[in-house]
Amino acid sequence: MGELEPVFPLKAVVFQILFLLVAIALEAMVLRQNLRLGYKQSVRYAAAINLLTVVVGWLAFLSIEPLFKPRLQAQVISYVLFDNLINNTLKPQMGWIILIMGLVAFFMTLILKLKGLELIMRALGTWSLPAKPKNLSRKERYLRSRTGTTQYKEAASRFSIAVLQANALSFSAILLLLIMRSYVFGGMT
Amino acid sequence: MIDVLKDAIDKMRGLITPPRYLSWQTLLLLSLFSWGMATLADSTEATPTTVTILSTGSWLFLTIAIWWSLTDNPVKIGTLSISPWITAAVICIFLFRPWTTERLQIAMAVWPVIATILVAIPSFCDWQLDWSLPKPAVRQDLIVLLLVNLLLSSWILFYFRIQHWFSDYPSLIAENLDSSAFVYRFGSDADNSSQADTLLTSAANNLVEQLDDTPWPRVERWLLNLDNSINSVAEGIALNAVRESVFWSLDAPRPQSVSNGYQIRLRANWLGPTANQNGYYVEKVCNILPRTLQKRTGNETTQTSTPTAQVTCLDQTNKVERQVTIESTT
Repeated sequence: MGELEPVFPLKAVVFQILFLLVAIALEAMVLRQNLRLGYKQSVRYAAAINLLTVVVGWLAFLSIEPLFKPRLQAQVISYVLFDNLINNTLKPQMGWIILIMGLVAFFMTLILKLKGLELIMRALGTWSLPAKPKNLSRKERYLRSRTGTTQYKEAASRFSIAVLQANALSFSAILLLLIMRSYVFGGMT
Repeated sequence: MIDVLKDAIDKMRGLITPPRYLSWQTLLLLSLFSWGMATLADSTEATPTTVTILSTGSWLFLTIAIWWSLTDNPVKIGTLSISPWITAAVICIFLFRPWTTERLQIAMAVWPVIATILVAIPSFCDWQLDWSLPKPAVRQDLIVLLLVNLLLSSWILFYFRIQHWFSDYPSLIAENLDSSAFVYRFGSDADNSSQADTLLTSAANNLVEQLDDTPWPRVERWLLNLDNSINSVAEGIALNAVRESVFWSLDAPRPQSVSNGYQIRLRANWLGPTANQNGYYVEKVCNILPRTLQKRTGNETTQTSTPTAQVTCLDQTNKVERQVTIESTT
């Protein structure tokens, strides 16, 4: 690398902070309602898991990007520096590639948030789910045969559904913001 | 005048004189002393190990002195104390010596993480150096703090990633970055011309080498077979930035007739990322004329010999934005 150019990713930083605030606010709302956490606590948890996913996402991008083939790297550079896709042989497939990347991102963040939230709650000693029972009591066995579920399963699924809802909500909101950005600002220029 | 000077010196002395034996001023003096000894050892040509040990000691004392003094008098922006980042910066300079760009990249990326560690250490161990887990509330704050600092690291690494793109593909520097949603350029657009000039100059040199002083019929055959000929001209051109060569392709449209020779336009097509909708090309004009007409001096052999070609290329190049897209093959 030679001399450094005075080109800084400041717009990316501003957009990232904005999207993080939106995601944290929405997810804190969902977590508070579904997991019965306090206001402050749910905001803190939402902040922690969103920061975690963002950091893992950045590290993944930064470690994979240098390995891209020139034509894919050209698309990435074009998107980052000029906000458009260049017309090379990869252009027709870019729609699919972006769609698949979006899906992968959604499920990776979902897994990360589930595991991350569990780990953070365990680290803080607030993990309230009962340990997976080895021997069920007689009453619980009756319950399981009648309803097909146990206390543990129910609590775990409530937890997972809350995180899934939170993730889906924040992804939709950010997608909406991105679409608005490209229409509003794209219409202006 | 002397009173003012005396006052200032007294103040300085008051600031530097240690109030107790155990204080940061002691460490600062130790650091200065150690540095002085290192300079002395260096000038008296002591063994390099001695100098290294002394200067390392000086750095260590300085780092701890700064850390200590900033813990006692924190530097604050609003309610946020930025002392850990300052201390971490000193540690990073000491550890990585970031005088080259690569080292600067590592030092900058590690900087926020070291700041976090500095903040975290006091909550993990007390003055007796007993290790213990902090309280849950503190733990949670530390986790969020670590993640925020990792995010700062990612942004710094992203900045260096962009710099890598610019050094791999220098023609990007000349582009207009206003429409980007990621980056902002400080100062005006760089006037840095793209690599096209280098490419076209060496292409023109190759052209002159191939055609100058060759018999005219051969030139016409060369021009008839232009597509292959251009490939032979493009061969062996080395750009300053090797990786950028995948984004350039050289071609030339049909030559035009001018007076009694031909005019050929060498075109360097940019196939990489660009702010222009359809991309652009840079072209250079070369004239190929038969030489005998100017060379008629005597009346002996010139009439019978076939004319030879004379190739001249203009110095300037011009950049043209394409009206229709072409699809690149890269």
